[in-house]
Amino acid sequence: MPMLSKDRLRGTLDVLILKTLTWGPRHGYAVARWLEETTGDTLTIEEGSLYPSLYRMEQRGWIESEWGTSELGRQAKFYKLTAAGRKQLRVETAEWQAFVDVVSRVLLPG
Amino acid sequence: MTAVRRARFFRRSVPDAVATELDFHVAMIEHDLVRAGTDPAEARRIAAARFNNRPTITAECRRIGQQTERTVRRTLHVQEFIDDLRFAARQLLKSPGFALIAVLTLAIGIGATTVIFSAVDAVLLRRFAFAHPERAVFVNELVMHQDGNVSAGNYVDWVAMSRSFGGLAAEEFRNVNLTTSDAPERVLAGRVSANFFPMLGVAPLRGRVFAGSEDQPGNDDVVILSEGLWRSRYGGDPGIIGRQVQLDDRRHTVIGIMPASFDPTVNDEQLWVPIAFTPDRRAQHDEHYLTVIGTLKPGVTIAQAQADMDGVSRIEAGRFPKDVTGAHVVGLTTFITAQYRTPLLLLQGAVLLVLLIACGNVANLQLARSSARAREMAIRAAIGAGRGRIGRQLLTENLLLALVAGAVALGLARLGIAALRANAPQGIPRLEQAHIGGGVMLFAIAAALGSALVSGLTPALRSTRRDLQTTLRESGRQNQGAVRDRLRTALIVAEVALSLPVLIGAGLLLRSAMHLQHVDPGFDLDNVVMARVILPVGTPAEHIVTVQRLVDDLAARPGIVSAAMTSQAPMVPGGTSNGLLPEGKPFSQENLVQSRLRLVTPGYLGTMRLRLKQGRWFTDQDVAGAPLVMVISEAVAKAMFPGENALGKRIGCCEPNSYKTVIGVVGGVRSDGPAQEIVPEFYLPLAQAPADAWSWIGNIVSVTVRANTADPAAATAAIRAAAHDIAPGTPVYRVSTMRAALASTLEVDHFNTLLLVALGVIGMLLAAIGIYGVVGYFVTLRTHEIGIRMALGATRGNVLRLLAWQGVRPIAIGIVVGTALATWATTLLRSSLYGVTPRDPLTFALVIGVLLLAGVLATVIPARRATRVDPAATLQA
Repeated sequence: MPMLSKDRLRGTLDVLILKTLTWGPRHGYAVARWLEETTGDTLTIEEGSLYPSLYRMEQRGWIESEWGTSELGRQAKFYKLTAAGRKQLRVETAEWQAFVDVVSRVLLPG
Repeated sequence: MTAVRRARFFRRSVPDAVATELDFHVAMIEHDLVRAGTDPAEARRIAAARFNNRPTITAECRRIGQQTERTVRRTLHVQEFIDDLRFAARQLLKSPGFALIAVLTLAIGIGATTVIFSAVDAVLLRRFAFAHPERAVFVNELVMHQDGNVSAGNYVDWVAMSRSFGGLAAEEFRNVNLTTSDAPERVLAGRVSANFFPMLGVAPLRGRVFAGSEDQPGNDDVVILSEGLWRSRYGGDPGIIGRQVQLDDRRHTVIGIMPASFDPTVNDEQLWVPIAFTPDRRAQHDEHYLTVIGTLKPGVTIAQAQADMDGVSRIEAGRFPKDVTGAHVVGLTTFITAQYRTPLLLLQGAVLLVLLIACGNVANLQLARSSARAREMAIRAAIGAGRGRIGRQLLTENLLLALVAGAVALGLARLGIAALRANAPQGIPRLEQAHIGGGVMLFAIAAALGSALVSGLTPALRSTRRDLQTTLRESGRQNQGAVRDRLRTALIVAEVALSLPVLIGAGLLLRSAMHLQHVDPGFDLDNVVMARVILPVGTPAEHIVTVQRLVDDLAARPGIVSAAMTSQAPMVPGGTSNGLLPEGKPFSQENLVQSRLRLVTPGYLGTMRLRLKQGRWFTDQDVAGAPLVMVISEAVAKAMFPGENALGKRIGCCEPNSYKTVIGVVGGVRSDGPAQEIVPEFYLPLAQAPADAWSWIGNIVSVTVRANTADPAAATAAIRAAAHDIAPGTPVYRVSTMRAALASTLEVDHFNTLLLVALGVIGMLLAAIGIYGVVGYFVTLRTHEIGIRMALGATRGNVLRLLAWQGVRPIAIGIVVGTALATWATTLLRSSLYGVTPRDPLTFALVIGVLLLAGVLATVIPARRATRVDPAATLQA
């Protein structure tokens, strides 16, 4: 049974980042901007959560990084989804769906 | 694992990466703000403000990043190693001939080393199956400054007076007839005090050990079986406990079974019964027949226990001046394994030398291969492989070789250990427990890894040092500059130097064995057959009649020249020893001459062909009631009556206030075998045997028979038939020719010799193969040059000499180095050598000659190939 916990909150950012990266490799700043724009700036991505999240997912092998040159002509670290990350995203999405279904049945009956 | 591959090319430190990444983030915020119209200075201020928690982020990212990096690096190494291994396997499969020879050479070396180590492990290293083997000691009585058995009276007093021992237990060994329902079987019994098992801290496999109340006369009809006897005789039936078995003439109840690992004295006793001293026994100080085992109290050293026992002995010597001289405390493990330590460690050393020679040969093969692969290596270096990387690749190939060789070696070692256990002489303690256990397995793996390092390091270093430009430019033609290849020459020197000490050691042992063949045993042992006979229960007078009838019956049978009885035949361990006191001297330990007793029938002199030096031998008139007579050996005569005529002198021995007149002196006999000194002995007529003597010898006598042929079959049959005629069912056992008995005293020595000779020959062959390979390689390299020389008029002889010198010079250097090594190493053999000194010049000369011959042959055969070079063909090539 899915539960709403601290892990889930943190996991939610993870899964949002993973989703973002399905559109192609991006650096950290671009990930944050993309998420903020997609949610119409209702979601603010804290740097303090973003980068540790990226590093953790890289450690777990869900994403991998590569240094490249950014639009400013500076060295930037680009993150890319791995096969493991793609699988993780599928699992998390399904769990989220199940969670939403359960909560909806209670909060929005009929 | 793409992340891993990428990490190889991007080696940016984690802190640097984190800083760069976050800097970029800040720059991007500023950039977006400026683009949206904010003043650049203001934008910088806002960006910095948003990032006020940067130190925290940096710290956390660094932590995770560094963890990731460690994991990646580990995976990277494993991955590289697997790549190397895979590559190595492909390379080796490409040259299966090389791989096969290298694997076999190493496998034989590692396998042989492992077999010997398994013996070292079983005999020397394995802990005894006691609770505290390091505290177990033997406490021996000193008889004429030698370790001897203990009297019951002394044992009882030691238990009461000593302070150093957690316990002292006594054991007496005795052969008994074990009867269950069928025919009796002769087994060795240990009669032990009740504390024997609890003191050593060993639990029975089944059942229980003796209770204190069972160690009392009349209450002692219980028996504990060894696991071996339980399995062989009773098929491992647990129901045996509680059942009755007959030992000699008494029924005993089986109460327990001791595990096979319990082997305190390595005498292989097959069962135990309580010793149950009678009050008489407890007071007896003059009969020494007990083995005393003790355990030291925690923290007490052997030296402290010895000091304690010295004090006890002083008090005892005051009370029993005739019978007590001292006690000797000696570590049980040390005492049992001492005599096997040096030979086993020497064999281990020798086999390690052989393994090193084998490694040398594989290194040699590697060198030959690495020359052929020089181009491959140069190309790999040219496309960016580092020196360390190539070196590691070559070491990996060796590692793979060694691992395969190690696996094959374990298979060979399994066979080798089985062969060792089947063929090793009886009586090497605990050798039958040699097997491939954890320790031996680890040793084999270590030997394999060591071999990989030794045989791979030199070629690896050399390959990486080659100048790659030169190699690439040389392309087709072989490198002429490598002709004087120092490394290869050094290998020959090393192999010869290592094989020489092993060969010389083997040579010395062989010479020693040959010497022993010609040692005079003091009697004529050809055509003599002997057997032990247990006399039917009876009085001494009845025994004498039985013996006389048996001898007469035997002597009358066809094919038998003469027959005799003795309490103890030569070449058979055991027997009793007595102190002889010349008449007129006061009784004291100094005046006693310890001498081995032989009770014999008159026919003994003629049957054994002892040499009568003086006086006469026993006749049929030397019987009970006639004057008591004695014959002594020359050694006894010399010790008791130096410079005097021993004939007619009277000697006190064996029973109170009894003097026997010396009527003859016979030549000494090497009763413990040709490798041992002549034993001082005295002979008494069996018909005048002291009353106690029958209990000393336990009603067992040895019959000795001289047949008229060397074939023992007729004599053996005669002995069995005669025993059956006199008393049906009389046990006859240990039937053997005197020659076989003599050989068995040398069995351990011969076995060592055999092993060392085998190792020496293997070492020499390996060295010869190595030399052959190196010289053959030189010849191939110089074919072109030889062609030129021959075209310019060099004769075949010139060419042969030129090439032979290239092999003979390192052999000569190796012999010089090896001789130096051998002069040191052979001194370790001193205690195993008889009639030859450790630096016997003849052995050294012969062995060096043989090795030189083998080396020269290994040089000349490939060198001759060079002389068949066709100059025209070579020059056109």
